[in-house]
Amino acid sequence: MKWLTKTVKIVLIAIVAFFFLFPVYWLVTTAFKKSEDWFTWPPSFFPQHWTLGNFSGLEGGFFGSVTTSISTITPYLINSIIIALLVALISTIIAALAAYAISRFKVGGMRFVSWIISIRMLPPIAAALPLYVIFSHLHLIDTWWALILSHLIFTTPFSTWILITFFNEIPQELDEAAFVDGANIGQTFWHITLPLSAPGLASVSTLAFIQSWGEFLMALVLTTSENAQTLPIYLGRFITGWRIAWGPLAAAGLITMLPVVVFSLLMQRYLLRGLTFGAVKG
Amino acid sequence: MINSKKGKRTGFLLILPLLVLFLGLTIYPLIYMVYMSFHQYSLASWEEPKFIGWKNYQEILRDHTASSSVNFTLFLLFTAVPIEVLLGIGIAFLIRDVWGEKVLRSALIIPMTIPPVVAGIAWKMLYNYEFGPINYFLSLFGLPKASWLGSQSFARLGVLLIDVWQWTPFIFLVIYAGLQSIPRDVVEASLVDGASGWSAMRHIELPLLRPLIWVILIIRVIDVLKLFDIVYMVTFGGPGSATHSYSFYIYKVGISFGWDVGYASALSIILLLVVTILTNLLIRFLHLSETLGL
Repeated sequence: MKWLTKTVKIVLIAIVAFFFLFPVYWLVTTAFKKSEDWFTWPPSFFPQHWTLGNFSGLEGGFFGSVTTSISTITPYLINSIIIALLVALISTIIAALAAYAISRFKVGGMRFVSWIISIRMLPPIAAALPLYVIFSHLHLIDTWWALILSHLIFTTPFSTWILITFFNEIPQELDEAAFVDGANIGQTFWHITLPLSAPGLASVSTLAFIQSWGEFLMALVLTTSENAQTLPIYLGRFITGWRIAWGPLAAAGLITMLPVVVFSLLMQRYLLRGLTFGAVKG
Repeated sequence: MINSKKGKRTGFLLILPLLVLFLGLTIYPLIYMVYMSFHQYSLASWEEPKFIGWKNYQEILRDHTASSSVNFTLFLLFTAVPIEVLLGIGIAFLIRDVWGEKVLRSALIIPMTIPPVVAGIAWKMLYNYEFGPINYFLSLFGLPKASWLGSQSFARLGVLLIDVWQWTPFIFLVIYAGLQSIPRDVVEASLVDGASGWSAMRHIELPLLRPLIWVILIIRVIDVLKLFDIVYMVTFGGPGSATHSYSFYIYKVGISFGWDVGYASALSIILLLVVTILTNLLIRFLHLSETLGL
């Protein structure tokens, strides 16, 4: 009886793992497939020959009249890196200050915290629409700042939230002791709280980075050219045409998802805290 | 010092940047959107916004595409969300205490970490009619090839499947973490008292997880209302308007085809009202005063 439940369990786990991991496997292997393996029946599950040509643009070349090479990816990659880095930096600074105020001085109380949650849950399309009109008047459309500002709407509440829980875990007695020794609030924050919360700051900036890196709707609405368009938009563009060159598309997809997946897995605990508003300690 | 007047003032200075950011980037745009929703205002014409009262809102009731997008969104709410919650809970109980659970857990949450745009690409390949692996698997069972993105019902099913694939891991992860936080001795005591593992799960662990389940349920409902990326990448709302999610329809009206900002604003306000009600419900379930010590 016992071996039966065990076997059933193993079979179920295998099915679950297959369902959730096969799409990932397919994307990753396709990124390294030679062009003759892109379209085959039966599909090529275990490609015999591997190539880096999809990344370098050697594989496939021209497809009809459209080039399938991803060599044009560079400006988008640069935009993505700069925008995500600035978003990470700015949102961490703003969030750290606010979280410290909320955690230590209880500024704003419940009302302010609820407000932060509401903004975090705001549907992106509802923000994108008025921002498009406002940014057009300010001539910000198709600039890095359009994306940086719009991404901050979603990353700062998320970061603030995680940092509040983080600061709460640092004993207040340490602050008190510093005050007694004559330190002011700025010195206490700088010399006591910040060093102790370095891991928290590192994780919120990483999480802000990956949120900005993968964001699609704002980038779609607020940018129009390679001056400011990011990797997700580059991927979206690829999907046009009568038949899609799978190899390069998967390669570009892999470049886009790799940093996000790696960092998310490393930051699981904090990701979970941020996503559930502290309902799970993780 | 902390509770002094000076402390409060410093505290206010510290949240000032966040306050300015929120006022400038959310409150002001929202007020502007309410204003536009009462005006006839199209970016495609050079005319100034013209006040038309409630006309944009009345239009929603007559708009067939709007109701079909509401339809599709409701379809996802009543299929995807329950499937994800049940499956996520099931997997959490299935995986725990299995050999290698840590590795397995990290592997299973990969789908939720992939940017939706990239997930869309992966599934677009899987759904391909001629060469897609899914149709190949179907053929192994002697089933005919399905036109996944070509027929209305299959396209809807297709979006549903991607959503389940991407977000079940989130629920699994939350429940799994929740299970870890239940003190071991509570469960063990009941096992000593002669309860089976199954009844311990039903009568002790699941009730303890209930508040957590409510929280993720509401978060998922709000997320479904925001669904956009996957639809844009995989079906572009088609065929016809079969897979227009509500957010996708607003995008189409306001940005990509219509530039009808007035009408799109009215549609957005409705969405905002619904999301605000749900968020308030969520806040109630979060017991913020406990989690944050406020």
